[in-house]
Amino acid sequence: MKFTFKATPALFARARQDLARKHPFAHERVGFVFAGCARADDDLIVITARDYMPVDDEDYIRNPNVGAMIGSGAMRKGLQRAYATRSALFHIHTHGGRGTPEFSSVDLKDAQNFVPSFFNVVPAMPHGLIVLSNDSARGRVWGAPKKKPVYIHRFVSVGSPLVRYGEVA
Amino acid sequence: MSRLDRQSFLGADSDRTLNELTVGYVGLGGGGSHVAQQAAHLGIGGHVLVDGDIVEDTNLNRLVSGTAKDAKDKRLKVDVAARTIKAVNPSARVKMCPVPWQQALEELKGCDVIIGGLDSVVAKDDLDRFCRRHLIPYIDMGMDVHDTGGAYLIAGQVVLSSPGCPCLRCFGVVTEDGLAQEAKRYGAAGSRPQVVWPNGVLASLAIGLLTQLVTPWHRGGVSSAYLEYDGNKNTVRSSPRVAMLGDRPCPHTSALETGDVRFDIRGDSKRKPSSPVAADGAAAQGATRRLLRKLGIFLRPAPET
Repeated sequence: MKFTFKATPALFARARQDLARKHPFAHERVGFVFAGCARADDDLIVITARDYMPVDDEDYIRNPNVGAMIGSGAMRKGLQRAYATRSALFHIHTHGGRGTPEFSSVDLKDAQNFVPSFFNVVPAMPHGLIVLSNDSARGRVWGAPKKKPVYIHRFVSVGSPLVRYGEVA
Repeated sequence: MSRLDRQSFLGADSDRTLNELTVGYVGLGGGGSHVAQQAAHLGIGGHVLVDGDIVEDTNLNRLVSGTAKDAKDKRLKVDVAARTIKAVNPSARVKMCPVPWQQALEELKGCDVIIGGLDSVVAKDDLDRFCRRHLIPYIDMGMDVHDTGGAYLIAGQVVLSSPGCPCLRCFGVVTEDGLAQEAKRYGAAGSRPQVVWPNGVLASLAIGLLTQLVTPWHRGGVSSAYLEYDGNKNTVRSSPRVAMLGDRPCPHTSALETGDVRFDIRGDSKRKPSSPVAADGAAAQGATRRLLRKLGIFLRPAPET
């Protein structure tokens, strides 16, 4: 099964702009993307971004060992909205720079702890983790809480121009 | 020298970009047959051909690549388009869906761009909404010949409707009045006059918009367009509605409604193969005939451009 992630350039830009803002104490910001899904042929699932939600300043927790740590309040807000809109939920942050970004080992380890819990709230949708650069992205998606995550096969910015990037063979 | 060398101004990577692209064509009559042919020449690699009709004698005044033998053999329009594409680019990835577009949804959801040549206002509206739901830019073509009392006016339009930009309703291509008039005719768009050259103009404009969208060769990119064609004056102009609407968000569709309403990832393991897509023309014709026999409702020829 392959996953393609589509969003308008406006949504990608809004996420990048928000994630680039300085936080009073956290080294980086995180946010959530809500998305719909559809099954296409060739065993492809198309994930279509609906909206971006920043994490509020007060929902960050001080932790010098990681770039950003968010509390249960932030998770609750994201999950509440995903539940209300029956959306796939993606935790998103940026590494900046150019080219296809890679997840850090901390990113992957943390995601393994919290992404499967998203299925408790919206079991019908896939959920995952996205890391952006300034011109590309990388994503991991879970099809079920106990399944191994897979890379998002391709990102598409549906605008002018229509751009496909972050391709995984 | 490669086949696409003369269009290298489209960008250093344009060959690959165009080859990786998959375009869906809904309606392969007068307009769609032109579009598919040009897309093949341009180097588009993936083609999803959707049309349940067969070639008839009355199509031959405008169906590009359609022959008298195709009409005699009652060949599918998707088969004719596939033959044309493969003749230009033997390595093209072609999927034939000889069914009404509502039965080829899974194939269409995987497309990067969809180009429609439908006369029915309801069908245009439905296809535009489908594309927005799945974040697919939609290029709509339409032409008409108006009787102005003893004289005729050939007019047409090509609209690029992109997610987040004005839709066919915003542009006034789909109106409540148009929908009501069609409803009075029980959904039939009617057998409208059609000729080959306006279809060719509109198809070229559609391919131009597609190319601007995926391999822009100048800085003024395009995400939304409404091109009006006057076949009597031989002019094309951008509709004043484009400037009027500007960047105003579309009030008819919501970005929060993307994806399939009933999508459920848990059903994945129980999933059956997708809708019938035949790999070759003969099989496709047989499958369509069987399907048409079962579904008498689809026996009426689908409107086309």
